[in-house]
Amino acid sequence: MKQLALSFLLLCLLFFPTLLAQENLTAYEIVEKSFDAVELAGTEATSTMTIFDGKGHQRVRQVAQVSKLYDDGDTEKKLIRFLSPADVKGTGFLSFDYEDKDDDMWLYMPALRKTRRIVSSEKSKSFMGSEFSYSDITPPTLSDFAFTLLGEEDVNGIPCWKIEMVPNDDDIADENGFSKKISWIAKTDFVVRKSVYYDVDGELHKELTVHEIRELDPQNHKYRLIHLEMENKQNGRRSVLKVDSIVFNPDVKDEYFTTRYLERE
Amino acid sequence: MKTLADKIIQFRWPIILGFVAVTIILGLQLRFVEIDPDMKSQLPEDIVSRINTEKIDELFGGTDMLMVLVKTDDVLKAETLKRVKKISKEMNRIKGVDKVLSLFELKSIKGEEGAMIVDPAVRRIPRNDEQREQLREEIKANDIVYGSVISTDFTITAIIAVLKTDVPDVYIVPQIEKLVRNNPGKEETIIGGLPYIRGSVSRNIQGDLRRLMPVGILIMLLFLFICFKQLRGVLLPFFVVMMSILVAMGMIPLLGWKIYVITIILPVFLIAVANDYGIHMIAKYQEDNIPSNRYSKDDLARRMFTGLSKPVLLTGLTTISGMLCLLGHVIVGAKQLGILASIGIVYALAASLFFIPAVISLLPRAMPVMQDTDNRSKKHILERLLWFFGELVSTKPKTVIVTALIFSALSAIGIFFVIVDTDPNSYFPDDHPVVHATDLINDNLGGSNNISVVFQGDIKQPRIMTKIDTLESRLRTWPEVGNTTSIARIIRQMSRALNDPDELGYNRIPDSRNAIAQYFELYSMSGDAEDFEKLVDFPYEHALLTARLNTTSTTKLSKIVQRTDDMLKDDPDILLVGGFGVVISDMARLVVNGQILSLFMATIIVAILLMILFRSFVAGLISAIPLTLSMTILFGLMGLFHIELNVATAMLSSIMIGVGIDYTIHFLWRYREERQMWLEPIDATKKTLTTTGRGIVFNAFSVIIGFIALLFSSFAPVKFFGFLVIVTIFACLIGALVLIPSLCLVLRPKFLEPKTKM
Repeated sequence: MKQLALSFLLLCLLFFPTLLAQENLTAYEIVEKSFDAVELAGTEATSTMTIFDGKGHQRVRQVAQVSKLYDDGDTEKKLIRFLSPADVKGTGFLSFDYEDKDDDMWLYMPALRKTRRIVSSEKSKSFMGSEFSYSDITPPTLSDFAFTLLGEEDVNGIPCWKIEMVPNDDDIADENGFSKKISWIAKTDFVVRKSVYYDVDGELHKELTVHEIRELDPQNHKYRLIHLEMENKQNGRRSVLKVDSIVFNPDVKDEYFTTRYLERE
Repeated sequence: MKTLADKIIQFRWPIILGFVAVTIILGLQLRFVEIDPDMKSQLPEDIVSRINTEKIDELFGGTDMLMVLVKTDDVLKAETLKRVKKISKEMNRIKGVDKVLSLFELKSIKGEEGAMIVDPAVRRIPRNDEQREQLREEIKANDIVYGSVISTDFTITAIIAVLKTDVPDVYIVPQIEKLVRNNPGKEETIIGGLPYIRGSVSRNIQGDLRRLMPVGILIMLLFLFICFKQLRGVLLPFFVVMMSILVAMGMIPLLGWKIYVITIILPVFLIAVANDYGIHMIAKYQEDNIPSNRYSKDDLARRMFTGLSKPVLLTGLTTISGMLCLLGHVIVGAKQLGILASIGIVYALAASLFFIPAVISLLPRAMPVMQDTDNRSKKHILERLLWFFGELVSTKPKTVIVTALIFSALSAIGIFFVIVDTDPNSYFPDDHPVVHATDLINDNLGGSNNISVVFQGDIKQPRIMTKIDTLESRLRTWPEVGNTTSIARIIRQMSRALNDPDELGYNRIPDSRNAIAQYFELYSMSGDAEDFEKLVDFPYEHALLTARLNTTSTTKLSKIVQRTDDMLKDDPDILLVGGFGVVISDMARLVVNGQILSLFMATIIVAILLMILFRSFVAGLISAIPLTLSMTILFGLMGLFHIELNVATAMLSSIMIGVGIDYTIHFLWRYREERQMWLEPIDATKKTLTTTGRGIVFNAFSVIIGFIALLFSSFAPVKFFGFLVIVTIFACLIGALVLIPSLCLVLRPKFLEPKTKM
């Protein structure tokens, strides 16, 4: 009897820390999980990006996109092809995002029938001229930041953790374009619902709102952000990214991610 | 008039209190007055150059640039570059700065081994000589940076803050100054650019107003005391002047106006001119207040009014007419000065005629200053001089006239050398930091002035893009164009990065619309979409081509603007031509037009007034002669001494006509009186000169002395204005004392002949 009780106690003790751990995740861990939650082994999608200049004009881009993870998730390869408007149709963009080295990028311009590799140190700059920056599209390096759990708050009725992300030094801040970012990450699925960005001066700069997400890989609980909006609070500009159709496909053909394929029309 | 004089005595308290009350009420408005140093506001709102320049701001955001220049023997040295980098990064953080243009912010787009590389022009600070020379070569190949933010000899680099629209100079200039202070270094550091000039102008306006007013008042008080030697003789005219200044300046915020550089002239003008009426009144008082007269204080007050109301009114009228002719100017500041000065003069007139006698009737009789017999030793020299003039005029009148004509003809030569200059850079003396900065920018960094062309249409069309490119190349061949920026240059730079030198597309504008669209897309993927915004607007419907001009000569600027306008006049692809260079050349044109118009208006109106006064056509003509000669001398001097015609000096002529005619009026009036008493012409001349002549000299000198204060201004044009005023008043004086009498003696006009037959 005693032995049974003792082993039971031992078992409880073994499991107890894990139970506790589940309840008390660190900010770092929450953020790490939020990056994991949207990391899909492979996808095929078409999306529409609409950029509003705040003065009544808008620019619309439709793109077809495939992505796939390699090297155990350390590398993500993406191919983006413009579908509209007509003057940029066929323009293609291929990128290899590495975990710990500079990305490789190529651009194909159908009017020139030319592919050119692009080397640019401008990470904080806008993606396609929108309010989304490259560091919003591709996950940044976790070790560049310090994370603090500020508390818990509901966003649109969904309980979230409120996490503050601060770059470790000025150079990283300049690179990413913010001195502070506060994100609301849902407790249920670890997907970010809202983020607020503060510029290098400490002033409120942009606000990201996630209107819709979709679980694409139910087995591994992986999601994709379907409808997002980034608003620049300082100049009134706004960009909206809507995924029109998306399919989870872990077996996307490898040949898509070559410059040869990029040039095919 | 007698009953009016009695009424003044009767209602003296309401009169005194009324004037004081109005003065206080209007003087309190001065709390709300604002200074506006901007050149653009001098142009009326409907002037095309102003509208165009504002449209450019609307389409492309702010275009005002504030520059920090760093000068040393080699800017590429590590410590200098480190400092530049720090200043550049910190400048970006200043609120109100839209963009920073510097070696570390501007891009280099180049092709290397099949890759297009977009990097800041200086990516890494070189650590050894080899790296430094490599960087030098890279910069030389980067035409966006070379010659625009770094001089071709690598001794000067600029960190330029492009400001958002509506950033007040008074906020941003100190911010930049603080930034420079917080980043000290061995290199020479200079701040320049239009906002800095405006800030300096603004500071100087305030400094001038604070300095010139006390100086002017002090000189006036001294002068009054020397003349009258009595406290009331000093204080009463002083009060009248102060009241008119407070009233005139208090009207500025009430009318919704602001203080400009020109407005500095207002208080000094009033001190000089508004004084005269009070001086005449006090002179009359002292003339009457001699021991042998048994006048009561009320009598003295009454006599002041009855004796002087007509002549004082008349001279006031001519002065106001001269000032109102400033309305012939289109330039806002000049027009407003005309109105404000007139308001001040009207108030001074009223105060001299009503307030002074009212106060005099309250005060006990003063100690007599003048003796019964003419015993003014101080004026002895003056009397002798006037007597000499009398002799000269009566014995050699024709010689005098001919000499005057010859002298004027000689000065007239100078008129052909008159140059117009409206650049605010010329407000400052040559050794002023503002001028130093402008010279550096003009000589080394492309130019401090600019002219901008806005294209309209489908900018992605190769036809339009090529047009921008062609125009840009053409402008670059002009010697005054230091540098140009446009979207076409960026496209070209990209074409060099995307094509190998032997390929067809290398260094050319692509010939398909899709290609240009894709170039734009490429840039927004790899560079900074914001870079474009100063060059092409969001819907790609307007593009901006800016040519920096390295000249401060208004004449050259005007020529360039004219050439550009002629070239682009009827082109449907061109929306407008604007920019600061256009504003300056427009101002120059308006200054000249205003000058000519107000000159004509003033001469004609004054001649008409005199015709009405003397009821004779000839009177108007005769009085126009010394005026015309004075103006000839004025412009001749300007040409000979290289004093430029600008917003300040352009107002001189109409002011001088209004003021200078007074001496002629006094002379003719008294001469006619003496002739009516049957004095022979020669005797009448001598009598007039030795009696009224004294008053005329007095008057002229009080004006001259009043304007001496302007010589202490920190603005060159205002200083020259003061100098020229003094010279022309002097010319008008001599004209009235010497030329007019000669003309009268030679021509014997009818209106001066005695009418009644004995």
